[in-house]
Amino acid sequence: MAQRILVVEDQEDNRRIMRDLLTSAGFEVLEALDGEAGVALAARERPALVLMDIQLPGIDGYEATRRIKSDAALRGIPVIVVTSYALSGDDRKAFAAGCDAYVAKPFSPRALLAKIRELLA
Amino acid sequence: LTVPRRPLTFAVVMPRRRLFLKYVVVFVGLVSGALLASGAVEIYFSYRESTAALVALQREKAAAAAMQIEAFVREIERQIGWTTQPQVVTAPGAIEQRRVDFLRLQRQVPPITELTYLDGGGKEQLRVSRLAMDVAGSGADYSGDPRFREASGGRTYFGPVYFRKESEPYMSIAMPQSGGKGVVVAEVNLKFIWDVVSRITIGKAGHAYVVDSTGVLVAHPDISLVLQKTTMTSLPQVGAALAGGEPVTMARDLRDRRVLTAHAMIPSLRWHVFAEQPLQEAFASLRASIERSIVLIMLGVLASVMASMLLARRMVQPIRALQEGAAKIGAGELGHRLRLKTGDEIEVLAEQFNRMTEQLRDSYATLEQRVEERTRDLRESLEQQTSTSEILRAINSSLVDIQPVFDAIARSAVRLTDAAFGGVTRYDGQLIHLVSGEKLPPGLERLFPVEPRGLLRRMLEERRIVQSADVRLDPRAEYRDMAAAMGYRTLAAVPMLREGVAIGGVVVLRTDERAFSDKHLALLRTFADQAVIAIENVRLFAEIQQKSRELEAANQHKSAFLANMSHELRTPLNAILGYTELIRDGIYGEVPEKIGEILERVDKSGRHLLGLINDVLDLSKIEAGHLRLALDDFSIKEVAHGVFASVEALAAERHLGLGLDVAPDVGLVHGDERRITQVLLNLVGNAIKFTPAGEVRIEVRQVDGLVRVAVIDSGPGIAAEDHERIFREFEQADTSSTRTKGGTGLGLSIARRIVELHGGRIGVESEPGHGSTFWFTLPLRAA
Repeated sequence: MAQRILVVEDQEDNRRIMRDLLTSAGFEVLEALDGEAGVALAARERPALVLMDIQLPGIDGYEATRRIKSDAALRGIPVIVVTSYALSGDDRKAFAAGCDAYVAKPFSPRALLAKIRELLA
Repeated sequence: LTVPRRPLTFAVVMPRRRLFLKYVVVFVGLVSGALLASGAVEIYFSYRESTAALVALQREKAAAAAMQIEAFVREIERQIGWTTQPQVVTAPGAIEQRRVDFLRLQRQVPPITELTYLDGGGKEQLRVSRLAMDVAGSGADYSGDPRFREASGGRTYFGPVYFRKESEPYMSIAMPQSGGKGVVVAEVNLKFIWDVVSRITIGKAGHAYVVDSTGVLVAHPDISLVLQKTTMTSLPQVGAALAGGEPVTMARDLRDRRVLTAHAMIPSLRWHVFAEQPLQEAFASLRASIERSIVLIMLGVLASVMASMLLARRMVQPIRALQEGAAKIGAGELGHRLRLKTGDEIEVLAEQFNRMTEQLRDSYATLEQRVEERTRDLRESLEQQTSTSEILRAINSSLVDIQPVFDAIARSAVRLTDAAFGGVTRYDGQLIHLVSGEKLPPGLERLFPVEPRGLLRRMLEERRIVQSADVRLDPRAEYRDMAAAMGYRTLAAVPMLREGVAIGGVVVLRTDERAFSDKHLALLRTFADQAVIAIENVRLFAEIQQKSRELEAANQHKSAFLANMSHELRTPLNAILGYTELIRDGIYGEVPEKIGEILERVDKSGRHLLGLINDVLDLSKIEAGHLRLALDDFSIKEVAHGVFASVEALAAERHLGLGLDVAPDVGLVHGDERRITQVLLNLVGNAIKFTPAGEVRIEVRQVDGLVRVAVIDSGPGIAAEDHERIFREFEQADTSSTRTKGGTGLGLSIARRIVELHGGRIGVESEPGHGSTFWFTLPLRAA
């Protein structure tokens, strides 16, 4: 059974790119359009990994990550934070929120895939 | 105020008693000189006279003695002459006769002790002596004897003095027998001469003596000298007498005493009688008289000294008084007057002195007055300056609140123009407002705001100073009654003009009727100008503040806009780049080669655009002050290695050599590692981009407590005039290169800002044709 990856992303194109990338790599993709939905979906579906965008409607990616990581049942799920161009310490904030990895946009699909495989190994 | 009075320079410094001494010395010198001279002359002449008198006396005594001796010798000669008469008879009877004659002669003339008759041949025929037996016809030959020889020549011969029994003086006298028939020789005792000489006394110690023609002492009170046959020729008086020269009156005797001497000659014997008296004795009375004279002279001198001192004191006293008075005046006592009633030139001089002092005092008084005036002027202008600067300070320190300025102006205006009260007013086009009043009566203060009327209206309309010497009587004035009620008389109003428009005025009032001077009006004009400046300042400052607030807001809007914008731009761009990569990776199926190439170009352009957007975002964040450095200690060596690794492929692609040289002693750097990486990456990227061939080298050194990172390339170099420009936004050395080489033109500008945020410096050393060295410095980690 294919591993499931939750993509929390409000941008249609980005979601599509991730979906196409991950599907082609043999993953099953779950999608959420905002932070709250993402956290809820993660709790319900227990994906193998979460790709979390930062700029989301409602609670942002940091808050969503923090919630996942503060839930003992979900804490084990790796979270990769995907930020837009990082300048003023986005990475720090991401790690402070408890994420396992950090990818800056524009990400190279290939590099992202490599990182996912590394975390799932 | 007092004028400092320095002692005038003619204050006397010479010794006080000099003039007095001078007078005394001159008087004493004159008087005692005259006394001494007359005394000396008198002494000289009395000396001369008494010397002459004494010498004359002595000469008389000597001459008397000489005459006695002469007479004695002549008598003997005459007596002998009797025996020398020619004998008639010869032979025995003749001899006998002669013997009788001789005996008789001896009896008659006691000094003759022996008589001898020598015949014509010089033979002794007879000798009759008191002391020996008579001898007759002895025939002894005396022909060679000088007595015979001299006498036979026909004249009397006087032999030398000789002594018998060692103490009896004798002399031979030989006389020729008339007819040349022999010679009679008589031995004569000269005791008589001695007696004569011994009898002669001159004073107590004076004496006489006789010398013969050869200078041998013949008679002297001291017989021993005679017996020793003392030769006296060594004495000058004797020598001179023998030589027949000028008689010597002052000489020395044998005992070397100074003597007064005189002599007389005994012609027949050619002897000389000397009479001498020691000077000491001779001049005893003279000395006494000289001593008396000296005592008298001394007394005279003493009297003259005292007299001259008295006289000098009388002469000097007025001069001293003059001098002391002059010294007092010189010391500044200009009220001092000289009071001298000497009735001579000194009194005239003192009068002139007094007049001079009077003039001096007058000119001093004028001077003091002038100095006082000048000081007052100075004080006034100093006060004015102080006030002006006080107001300026108020202006400077109250860019927001203008009230302190108006207060200072109102205060200074009233105080410095000697006004009773006053104030600063502003005119808003309709009403006049009081903005600051100084000592204003409440009634006057309550009047404001007031419509412009009367004098103030005139000031506002004519835009020039209005002054009224007495407001109560001034037809131009509107508030004459109020002036009377409030008690002010004189008014001056100076308009405050901004660009020719009156915006208010400074008004001062006096309770007495006394017009404000031009100086005061000028000062008020200054205050009015300062008030305008202050108003303008506040207005401009407010404007500037408003403008800068607006600018700041606009800037923030711009930054927010740029941040937003770049985000908005990036989102679709991310999609473009993402899809492009997925397509190129064959996610959506096989891609024909030609399309693959196009996709590569799409990817490249997209990334360039992304870089631009990122740079703009960076810069806008830095400008908005939103860039925060994540400061930490990090290894610049690792950064350099990381950058080196990431550009290695690019350099190889462009066939450039790539070098890395990190000094082993380089320590940790304190800063934002990612930002510094960005800077170095930018510099190295640029170097690779702009270097067509050769190499690019990264060099890290520690210099003077700083880390210096340099990127050295062998590129075309940059002209010196462009060194500054390339660090500015959107500038590249060659503007066309943005298109050919890619890059946003913002990289160096961002790098500069990042380095400067770290407290470092960035720069370039380059010359066209010789490559470039871009460098930056960073502070080391704090020890």
